[in-house]
Amino acid sequence: MMRSSALSLALGYVALGITALVLFAAPLWYAWQVTIQDGRSEILQADAQRLTDVYRRDGSAGLKSFIDTRLHMQIAGDRILLLTDSSLTPLTGNISHWPRNLPAAPGNYRVDVDTADHGIQSTLVHVAQLGNLYLLVGRDNKLFAPLERRFWYGLTAAIAVLSIAGLLVGLITRRALMSRVNSIRRTISAIIHGDLKHRLPSHSSDDELNTLTRTINGMLDQIELLVHGVRNVSNSIAHDLRTPLAELRSRLEELSLIRPPPEKTFGEIDAAVADVDRVIRIFDALLRLAEIDAGMRRSGFVPLDLVDLASAAVEFYAPAAELKRIQLSFYGDGPLPVLGDPILLAQALGNLIDNALKYAPENGAIDVAVRRRSDTTAEISVTDNGPGIKDSEKAKVFERFYRGDASRGTPGVGLGLSLVHAVAKLHASVLELSDRDPGLSVVLTMPSALAAGTGAAQPAPSPAAASAAATPVTATPAPSS
Amino acid sequence: MKILLVEDNERVSQFVIKGLQEAGHTTDHASNGREGMFLGASEPYDVIIMDRMLPGDIDGLAIIEVLRKAGKHTPILVLSALSEVDDRIRGLRSGGDDYLTKPFAFGELLARLDALHRRAQGVNRESPLTVGDLHMDPMTRKVTRGDRQIALQPREFKLLEYLMRHADQVVTRTMLLENVWDYHFDPQTNVVDVHISKLRQKIDAESERPLLRTVRNAGYMVTAGE
Repeated sequence: MMRSSALSLALGYVALGITALVLFAAPLWYAWQVTIQDGRSEILQADAQRLTDVYRRDGSAGLKSFIDTRLHMQIAGDRILLLTDSSLTPLTGNISHWPRNLPAAPGNYRVDVDTADHGIQSTLVHVAQLGNLYLLVGRDNKLFAPLERRFWYGLTAAIAVLSIAGLLVGLITRRALMSRVNSIRRTISAIIHGDLKHRLPSHSSDDELNTLTRTINGMLDQIELLVHGVRNVSNSIAHDLRTPLAELRSRLEELSLIRPPPEKTFGEIDAAVADVDRVIRIFDALLRLAEIDAGMRRSGFVPLDLVDLASAAVEFYAPAAELKRIQLSFYGDGPLPVLGDPILLAQALGNLIDNALKYAPENGAIDVAVRRRSDTTAEISVTDNGPGIKDSEKAKVFERFYRGDASRGTPGVGLGLSLVHAVAKLHASVLELSDRDPGLSVVLTMPSALAAGTGAAQPAPSPAAASAAATPVTATPAPSS
Repeated sequence: MKILLVEDNERVSQFVIKGLQEAGHTTDHASNGREGMFLGASEPYDVIIMDRMLPGDIDGLAIIEVLRKAGKHTPILVLSALSEVDDRIRGLRSGGDDYLTKPFAFGELLARLDALHRRAQGVNRESPLTVGDLHMDPMTRKVTRGDRQIALQPREFKLLEYLMRHADQVVTRTMLLENVWDYHFDPQTNVVDVHISKLRQKIDAESERPLLRTVRNAGYMVTAGE
C-alpha cells in the first residue's frame, strides 16, 4: 500500500488508543487481583477456622465425618477440602492426593490442584495443622473465571474495535483526501500542459484544503492575466514591428533589384535607416514599458516637486504649441512634493502634452495644471479642446499599440498612453479620462510625499504660503517677428 | 584624436573604426577585456570607447574602475546593449563619462566623442564664448550678434550656451535633450527642432550668414566656418 499520511496518522492514533487502554486496564487488573486474593484468603481462613472449631469440639473423627457429610451432601460448593494424616495420606476430601510442591506447614499457598471436576487448576489454598492431621482448604477459581474472562474479552474487543475503526477511518480519510488531491493533480497537470483556463475544484467550506485551493486559484487568475498580457504584448510587437520591417525589406529588395542611380540609392538608404530607427524606437518604448511593469524602477524614486517638473515639461513643449498656434497654459499650486521617478514622470507628462498637441485643433488651447487635491494627494491634469475620445474607446487607449480612429495619419506607434498608464500604476496613481465637450481631460491623481512617509518630516506649507506660491504661469505664444 | 575602442563584436568594430578613420581619427582596437585594460593603462588616448559586455572574465565596467583607480582620467564613452536607465546610471557611476545604447547612429557616437574630448580639455565656465560675430557672456548672461543684443529666455540661453561650447562640432538631438533639458527619453515628436528653429530666428534671422546649422541625419552645429 502506498504510503499515506492519512493512514499513518490513523494508525498512530490506534496505537495511542491501545496504549491508553492498556494503561487504564493494567492497574485495574492489578487492583482486582489483589482484592480477590485478600478476600479469598479471608474466606479460606474463615473456612479453616470453622473446621478447626469442629476438630476442637468433636476430635479428628468428628472432623472427618463433618467433612464427609458435607462432601456427600454436596454442600461444600466450590470448596476444595482435604484432610490427611501426618504422612499426608488422605483421610477424606474431594481431591485425591496432597498437591505436589505444597509444604506441610500452616499458611496460604498458590499451588496446582488436581480437582475431579475441573482438572488441574492453580488455586489458593490454606493449610492448617490440627494435632497430627493436616487440613487443606481451597476454593475453586471457577467462580471468578467468567468475570476474568469477560474482562479479557472486553479488553480484546475494545482493542479490536479501536484498531478496525482506526484503520477504516484512516482508509476513508485517505480515499477522500486522495480523490481531492487527485483532482487537484489532474487540474495542475492540465495547466502544466498549457491550458491556463482550468481552476481547482473548490467548495464553499472553509477547511484547510479549500483555503489552499482558493489561494492557488487566485494565483492562477493572476498568472493567466499576466500570460494573457504577455501574449498580447508579443502579438502587438509582432504586428507593429512587422510593418516597418516589411517596409524596410521591400525597400532594400527593390533597391537590389532595380539598382537605381546613386542619387536615388542614397535617398533610399536614408529612408531605410529611418525605418530601422522606427523599429528601434518601438523596441525602446516596449523595453521601458516592460521595465516599468516589472516594478524595477521603484528604486529610482526620489522626492521631487511636481510643479517644477510640470512647468519644465510645459516650457519644453511651448514652442511646439506655438508653432501650431495652440495656447499652452500652465497652472501650478506649489511647491508640491511627491515621491517618484523624475525621468518617468517627465516622460509620462510629456506624452500627455504631446498627445494633446496632436489632437488639439489649430488655435486651440491646452491647459496643464498641478494642484493639491487633498492633504495626501496631488493631481496633474492635461486638458485639450480636441475631438476627445469616444466612450467606447476610453478603455482601449491604454492598451499597447492601440491607435484610435482619430490618430490615423498622425505620427506615433500607439505606446504613449500605455506608458502613461504604466507610470501611473508604478506611482500608485489613478488615471482618469473625462470629456470636456469638446476635448479631453486626462487627470493623474497621485499620493503626495507628505502622505507617503518620506516627506512626512518636512513641514507642510502653511495655507498662506501655499496660496502665495500659487502662481498661474501662462506660456502664451510670443509674437513672432 | 587618438581613440581606443574596446569592443568584441567584429562588425561593430569595423564600422566604428572605418567611420572614425574617415573623420580623421586614429583608432586602436582591443577585442577583449585583458587587451583593453592593458592598452588603456599604458597608452595615452584622447577618448576610450568601452563596450560593457566583453568576453572573458573582465567586463567593461571593471576596466573603467581599474583605470580610474590607477589615476587615468581619459574620458570614457560606455557602449551597451542595455538601455535601462538604471544600467546607464551604473555605467556612469563606475567612472564612465557618457553612455550610448546599441544600436546607435555613427553620427551620435562621433558627436559624443567630440563633446567628451572637448570637455576633457577643460573649459572655463565663466569665460565669454565667441562664434563668428556671436558673443555670449555666461557671467552677465548677455548675448550679442554684432551690435545687436539678443534677448533669450533662460532655457534658450542654456541651449545656445551648450551649442557654443561645442562650436564646430555636431551636437545631436539626444545630446541636447540630455544636457539642456535633462530628459532621458525620446519625446517622439520633433520638439527639439522647434526649439532650435526658434533660437535660430533670434540669432540668425537678421544676419546674412547663418551660424546655427542643421547637419543632415545627425543634428546641429554652431559654426562660423563655411
